[in-house]
Amino acid sequence: MASRAAQTSRLLSARHARLYLPGLGLIAFAVGSTHPARAATQITGAGSTFDYPLFSKAFYVYGQSHRDVAVNYQSIGSGGGIQQFTAGTVDFGASDVPMNAEELARAHFDVLQIPVTLGGAGIAYNLPGVAKGLKFTRELVADIYLGKVKKWNDPAIAALNPGVKLPNMPITVVHRSDGSGTTYIFTDFLSHVSPEWKEKVGTAKSVQWPAPSSVGGKGNEGVAGLVRQTPGAIGYVELAYLLQNEMTYGQIQNRSGQYVYPTIDTIRAAAATKPDVSSTNFSIVDAEGAESYPISGYSWVLLREQPRDPARGALVKAVMTWLVSKGQDLAASVDYVPLPANVQETALKTINEMKVS
Amino acid sequence: MSPSSLGATPRRRHLTDIAWRAIAGLSAVAVAGTLLLILGYIVREGIGALSLSFITNTPRPIGIPDGGVGNGIIGTIIIIGIAALMAFPVGALVGIYLGVYGHGRTAASMRFLSDVLASVPSIAIGLFAYTLLVQPFHHFSAFSASFAFAVLMMPLVIRTTEGALRLLPAALRESAVALGASDYQVTARCLLVAARPGIITGLILALARVTGETAPLLFTAFGSQFWEFNPSNPMAELSLQIFTYAISPYREWHQQAWAGALLLILAVCALGILARVAFRQRATVET
Repeated sequence: MASRAAQTSRLLSARHARLYLPGLGLIAFAVGSTHPARAATQITGAGSTFDYPLFSKAFYVYGQSHRDVAVNYQSIGSGGGIQQFTAGTVDFGASDVPMNAEELARAHFDVLQIPVTLGGAGIAYNLPGVAKGLKFTRELVADIYLGKVKKWNDPAIAALNPGVKLPNMPITVVHRSDGSGTTYIFTDFLSHVSPEWKEKVGTAKSVQWPAPSSVGGKGNEGVAGLVRQTPGAIGYVELAYLLQNEMTYGQIQNRSGQYVYPTIDTIRAAAATKPDVSSTNFSIVDAEGAESYPISGYSWVLLREQPRDPARGALVKAVMTWLVSKGQDLAASVDYVPLPANVQETALKTINEMKVS
Repeated sequence: MSPSSLGATPRRRHLTDIAWRAIAGLSAVAVAGTLLLILGYIVREGIGALSLSFITNTPRPIGIPDGGVGNGIIGTIIIIGIAALMAFPVGALVGIYLGVYGHGRTAASMRFLSDVLASVPSIAIGLFAYTLLVQPFHHFSAFSASFAFAVLMMPLVIRTTEGALRLLPAALRESAVALGASDYQVTARCLLVAARPGIITGLILALARVTGETAPLLFTAFGSQFWEFNPSNPMAELSLQIFTYAISPYREWHQQAWAGALLLILAVCALGILARVAFRQRATVET
């Protein structure tokens, strides 16, 4: 019996060893060998989820004409982007808000921050029977988010929107629950237009939301989802999400008194009012100009002034130079806002400070 | 205990029986129904984007058709394959020790430690792998993800191996010893052979456990848009790709995320069925 057991055992183990163990490895290597190894240098970047659709398009197109370089960008969030860039695990970072003095001090190297694209937050709402285009003054947006205007048929809203049948419905204020560049731009806008907001809440990637009816959603998709599911909800959502998901959103009065929709043109107009944008002076909310959309902001790429590997650095420099110039033509195809010409120049000047062989 | 001491008439007992049967039945329907709802919804949303090119191509940006997750599928296989090569030998050996020899204090603390390890959140293990294998080298890699997965799989392999060995009747071991088999022969030629289906089931379940993990991958495998076969480079992974697509604004990508989820579910189901088949072998070995 023992010998039979041993025989079976040997038989079984031989069969199983052949089947199970090297199987996975073989599959991997078999598939691996059918594809020639890429000769291209891989550059890695990480950060802003907002930048991802634009970057994925731009770097794809760049790769088509530059076979020697492959840019691998992963959207792990602006905070994660700054962290990984600081830790030196990626060649470049991307963030919707530039690194501040404290974050810069934590990086043990000199950092260059360049604007690469623009974003804007639209005010989306869900009101049965009310179409797109409800008018909001800047103060009204602040009062709603402060919790001072609680009902949709409030006289403050009705006065701006004669002829619109506003339901007697409580306002549910939706905000981002995660730290986000969109929240930064939005609270920056509120701080600019409302002294009360500036004093009580302030500007940050995440804040203590004062309105009692506040609910938080994770990411743009979370806020968009909550607004869509909750009648009476209002929320701030990134432009590409608004357009792609056919949400109803309002017109916001800008500094010149005009009511404007968030569009590629109005956000670009706001940006053009400040050509000398820098990582320490970057706010373009509540900009001057009849065309300007007031809740707009830049997104940034973070670069080492002195790359660890100069050869790779040269590739990064070339990619970024292309991204802020020719690459900008691709922005509109994914509902992103291209940099105004004067800001492209500023960005190119900063990229040229990179010290590569 | 006489029936009357239960304080229930036959009629009442009959009614209680019906009520509990109904509750148990409803619970069963709720569990099975939830699973079917999830499966059905994923199939409905995902089937439209599923195609051959979806399985063989790499991801493409918005507006460029025929994007796929081929590199993610290969990446998943490579990452989990390496993880299995790391976790199985160690886990199985520890499991054998616990199941065959482990009676003392060392074994008890070993069991405790492996249970604690099993309850560590996967994101924490991902950060551990990041600190150990990514940060010092300034470089993301598929290997660091495999390491994180191996740590996740190990306690599962240990406990299932141990369990499979403990389920064996004591008579099996006794008769082997009585026939003059050495310790090594008893364990390797007798116990392990009999417990093999159970052990293999455990290994497959451990594979299924890590398939679909996303959290530990964010800071280890990192993801990639390209074909990548070198484990020391950043590599695409299916669930990471699903995550990236799911939070994007575009319907096209949402659909691909659903299709990816469908593939993932199919893979996990296949592993589950494989585990059942492997376990069924046990019956044939025993008879």
